[in-house]
Amino acid sequence: MHTRIGVQIVAAVGLVTALGIALLATVTLRTHRREMIAQLTRSADLLSETVKRSTEDYMLENRREYIRRQIETIGRQERIERVRVFNKQGRIVFSSDPTEVGQALDKRAESCFACHAQDRPLEQPPVQDRARIFTNGSGHRVLGIVNPIQNQPACASAVCHAHAPDERVLGVLDVTMSLADVDQQIAASRNRIIALAGGCIAVAGLLLWALSRRLVSRPVEALAAGTRRVAAGDLTTTIPAGARNELGELARAFNAMTARLAEDQRQLTQADKLASVGRLAAGVAHEINNPLTGVLTYASFLLDRAQENAELHADLEVIVRETKRCREIVRGLLDFARQTPPRRQPTDLNTVARRAVAVVMNQLQLAHVGLTLDLTTDLPPVQADPNQMQQVLVNLLLNAADAIGERGGTIRVASRQAQLAARGHEPIRRAACPKGCDLLDPGTRVGGLYAIRILREYRGREWGYCLDPVYGRFNHVAPEPWEEGVIAPAACPRCRTTLVEPEGTCERCQAPTLAVLGPNDEPIQWCTRTGCHFTRWAAREQRGPAPVVEISVEDNGRGIAREHLPKLFEPFFTTKGVRGTGLGLAITWGIVEGHGGTIEVDSEPDAGTRFTIRLPLEDAEPVRSAA
Amino acid sequence: MTECDVLVIDDEPVVREGVRRVLEASGLRVATADDATSGLRHPALAVCRLVLCDVMLPDRSGIDVLNELARARPGLPVVLITGYATPDLAERAQEAGAAAFLAKPFEASELMECVRRALEVRAPQEERAWRS
Repeated sequence: MHTRIGVQIVAAVGLVTALGIALLATVTLRTHRREMIAQLTRSADLLSETVKRSTEDYMLENRREYIRRQIETIGRQERIERVRVFNKQGRIVFSSDPTEVGQALDKRAESCFACHAQDRPLEQPPVQDRARIFTNGSGHRVLGIVNPIQNQPACASAVCHAHAPDERVLGVLDVTMSLADVDQQIAASRNRIIALAGGCIAVAGLLLWALSRRLVSRPVEALAAGTRRVAAGDLTTTIPAGARNELGELARAFNAMTARLAEDQRQLTQADKLASVGRLAAGVAHEINNPLTGVLTYASFLLDRAQENAELHADLEVIVRETKRCREIVRGLLDFARQTPPRRQPTDLNTVARRAVAVVMNQLQLAHVGLTLDLTTDLPPVQADPNQMQQVLVNLLLNAADAIGERGGTIRVASRQAQLAARGHEPIRRAACPKGCDLLDPGTRVGGLYAIRILREYRGREWGYCLDPVYGRFNHVAPEPWEEGVIAPAACPRCRTTLVEPEGTCERCQAPTLAVLGPNDEPIQWCTRTGCHFTRWAAREQRGPAPVVEISVEDNGRGIAREHLPKLFEPFFTTKGVRGTGLGLAITWGIVEGHGGTIEVDSEPDAGTRFTIRLPLEDAEPVRSAA
Repeated sequence: MTECDVLVIDDEPVVREGVRRVLEASGLRVATADDATSGLRHPALAVCRLVLCDVMLPDRSGIDVLNELARARPGLPVVLITGYATPDLAERAQEAGAAAFLAKPFEASELMECVRRALEVRAPQEERAWRS
């Protein structure tokens, strides 16, 4: 049976508290009662002594009538139940209740028992032994105290000569007092203590319940709910981890675990997606190419023989055209599935550009697209695979033509040599945390490059955050727009090591800096303040600008929507609907990346797009011949 | 079976028959086989002027067939056809001496063009084979 942990704690602690309070109450009550009885015993003893002294003279003088009256008077007082005197034989000689005078008591009666418990009677027992508490005939508790009347020389020498001189005890004075008042008081204070204890237990229980709910139940419930959500597959789950105790620690560990799981899952999904594309492509190529060969062979064969029947010819043309489209899709898949390393050789990109233009010229003319070639004449050769680079340029040219559409427009292909400053251009191709975890995220691309994924704390929560992987550019990807000017510390999403530098300060705003380890473990810094554009890669800055060959394809077509830009190079991302496979730019990106180059896209909706490819010149060999 | 210009080896019936239809329409005589073993034992092999062979055959690869034929009938042009053309495969085909490499799916005209060229280059190929 499921019992809530709060209830269990309250029950356990409540029981202990209740037992403690009950014990305390019992001890207090007992002490209180004992003290009251002791006090009453003392006053009864005093009273008994007073009676004895006040009647002593009368006894000596044997004035029995006075004694009887005095005893009756005293016996009428409130709280005094009875006063009586026994003689040595146990016979009642005087009593405040005249009816019992003359009766004899057995030595075993309660009033005799104190002294006669043993064979030889005590003569002057201590007061607590002479006192006894018993219930009288009417059901009240009473306190009785006996007081032996010692023989005195005067007793034997008095005129009456009632007692022999060798007797030590002549009789007993027995005073009994009602305990009704005392019992009532004790009962009242017992009730008070019980009420107080009950109240204490209730308040303590309530307090415990509230505390356990706040400190235990709620965090545990949140943790359980979070675990259920994670079990159901929601890895974006985070639970509040405000408490600075073990449960808060558990919540933080839980959040770290889910973040880590989400991260791993995302990377696995991405890797899985690519692997399945590869398998799919190979499978599709095998399975579809054979039937496709049948369709294309027969259809094109039929087309050749149907020249005289215009209608049939037109229909067959559709079949051939669409089958060839299928062929292109399958080839695209295959190209994507097996991106081979480039076979580099000194290559003149101008020649490659002209060849690419020649390949697409027919299509461009049909679509009324003008083409401008703006190629620098003395372009140095770069180390590149001319076939792959041609594929890249053909792809970009066809995309440009598609962007222009049917309304007509111009494509400009330009090449030039440039000195590329690191800031704003240099891709960061390695990023690691101080413990060496790889921070590059193949699942998130910024301008085609793997983004640098870190964890940032913003407004008391941790968020996955992607830094722009181009040094000096700030197209960071935040999970949602963040307010500027907030200091958001950073950590590694895998091992959670902080990335905030202990002594780093931003040159612009004095906020702490964060740093990742770039290529050759060179630190690259950013400011932790949102919106602050400070970054420094000191080692790269020292090396100065790098020579590159740049080739760009620019169109004045419809442009690319801003929200599409980050996804542009992802496989299967397409804005062309059924006319695209979403593989062209993914392949393009792969080829340029394989060359150690960069591809950059600038686009303005309804104004045009420019793709710029930059290949490094530094490792280019000298041209073998001038021809 | 002595009358044969082209031997087609492919395990896919629609490809075999499609190729046969196109080639026969151009007046070429065609024989077919559905795997490497039966293709290499085919009587038409002794007289044909060209072999069209799929790369992925159920029993052996087209490259194997190519190598066998280089021994059995040096100089006989062989065109490899495949549904999965990797650069690596193209390179191996070239090294093994394939006359051409035709990627599936192809149009009738592409097929004819390829066959025509392969038959034309027969003479220099034979010459080279003879010299080596």
